[in-house]
Amino acid sequence: MTAQSAGLALAIALMLAGAIGAVLLKEVMRVMIALGAFLFGVAAMYAYLGYSFLAIAQVFVYVGGVLVLMVFAVMTARRADGERPAIVSRHDVGSAAVAAGVGAMLFLSLRTAFGDTSVPVSRSASDLASELLGPRLVAFEAAGVFLLAALVAVAVILKGGEER
Amino acid sequence: MTSFLLGALWGVVGVVVIAGGAVIGVWWERKVAGRIQLRYGPQQIGPAGSLQMLADVPKLLFKEDVVPSGADKPLFKYAPLVVFAPVAAAIAVIPFAKGWAMFDTAVGVLFFLAVPSIEVVAILVAAWAQRNTYSALGGLRAASQMIAYEVPRALSVAPLVLLAGSLRPTDLVAAWRWWWVPLLALAFLIYLISSIAEMNRGPFDLPEAESELVAGYFADYSGMRWAIFMMAEYGAIITTSLFAAATFLGAGWPFDGALGVVALIVKAAALVTLVMWTKWTLPRIRQDQLLRFCWTVLVPAALVQLAIVGVVLPWL
Repeated sequence: MTAQSAGLALAIALMLAGAIGAVLLKEVMRVMIALGAFLFGVAAMYAYLGYSFLAIAQVFVYVGGVLVLMVFAVMTARRADGERPAIVSRHDVGSAAVAAGVGAMLFLSLRTAFGDTSVPVSRSASDLASELLGPRLVAFEAAGVFLLAALVAVAVILKGGEER
Repeated sequence: MTSFLLGALWGVVGVVVIAGGAVIGVWWERKVAGRIQLRYGPQQIGPAGSLQMLADVPKLLFKEDVVPSGADKPLFKYAPLVVFAPVAAAIAVIPFAKGWAMFDTAVGVLFFLAVPSIEVVAILVAAWAQRNTYSALGGLRAASQMIAYEVPRALSVAPLVLLAGSLRPTDLVAAWRWWWVPLLALAFLIYLISSIAEMNRGPFDLPEAESELVAGYFADYSGMRWAIFMMAEYGAIITTSLFAAATFLGAGWPFDGALGVVALIVKAAALVTLVMWTKWTLPRIRQDQLLRFCWTVLVPAALVQLAIVGVVLPWL
């Protein structure tokens, strides 16, 4: 086994363990950690496949952004009886069915949409940058303006809340 | 598998360097603080009290490791390690000499900026695991401050990347010219200030404001686990200073080879001293001042510096 495939196997094991933990654990903060392990595993997988820029972006956006936001929400949420929040689901079978359905849908759509088109994707950050700022400039800028509009909207909504 | 073993070996080297540097850093901080505040500091053991660090380490190792009965035990026990790991990982991408870093990757600069975000999660988890209101508040303060100051920090490094045309730290060192220092003086200042805030050091040490929060997000930790938090703090000072010395101040310039590595370490040590000097000189600021300063002063200033570099770049 080469170092790359061994690393990939480790990354996938981490992802699986994290995903299973995120579903089965009861205490919310442990669920968050399991989710963090999963997200970090995805980053490790990208790294071992050679997409280092994508791996760093994964850590930046998902571990440093999304996960921190969720942990923040957990820490500031208080139950009225002073107990720590825990996850109790009464719909295990239904949730599993929905998850399986979404998974199947994603799998099928990805297979049919990209099944026989092999898009050459460069692994280097500079090629990615020239692609984003060259042929895909309009889409890139549109996404940027959209995100900026969302940020400004959040600021306006927050300010409105303060005045009230 | 050799690359795996080599990676593990460099990992061990990085951890040893950071841990050793942290022990020296604690001693040096006490000396600097003593000089600034007219106190004694360590002076009894060895020349200038330098052997004090040898006494401190066993003391911390043998102290009782108290786990509060109400704490979430596994999270409480392992969170400090996850706080320390990203700090030790950050040293891997620092270019110690022209063309050499432990882990010379094409996205090294991003790697250096991204790893503290793992530390944020670990600090929040550690704060939560103690089941203590003071530490939870300290953790929330630390996280909000670290997330906010990540923005000016990343923006302050962006002009370097623009000038060098690469995200590889060794390319930054190779492309460095002396006139980068005046051109990027503002970026360097922003990098230093936002890094001090990112490390939760004074005057931005509100997460551990002892008058209100006891010791902040690690209030209930003791012995070696507490020492790991300290190691993470001093490790962050060292990696931050090394990175600044290597990229903003031209690494080993004006020397090459072994002498260049010495020059880099001297520059980094000067920056470490500056960071400590700042802590012991300036009073702590308030949380709202801290966040307002970030968003209304540092971020716009960093954007101005980025624009300046963008404008002059075609003529260089």
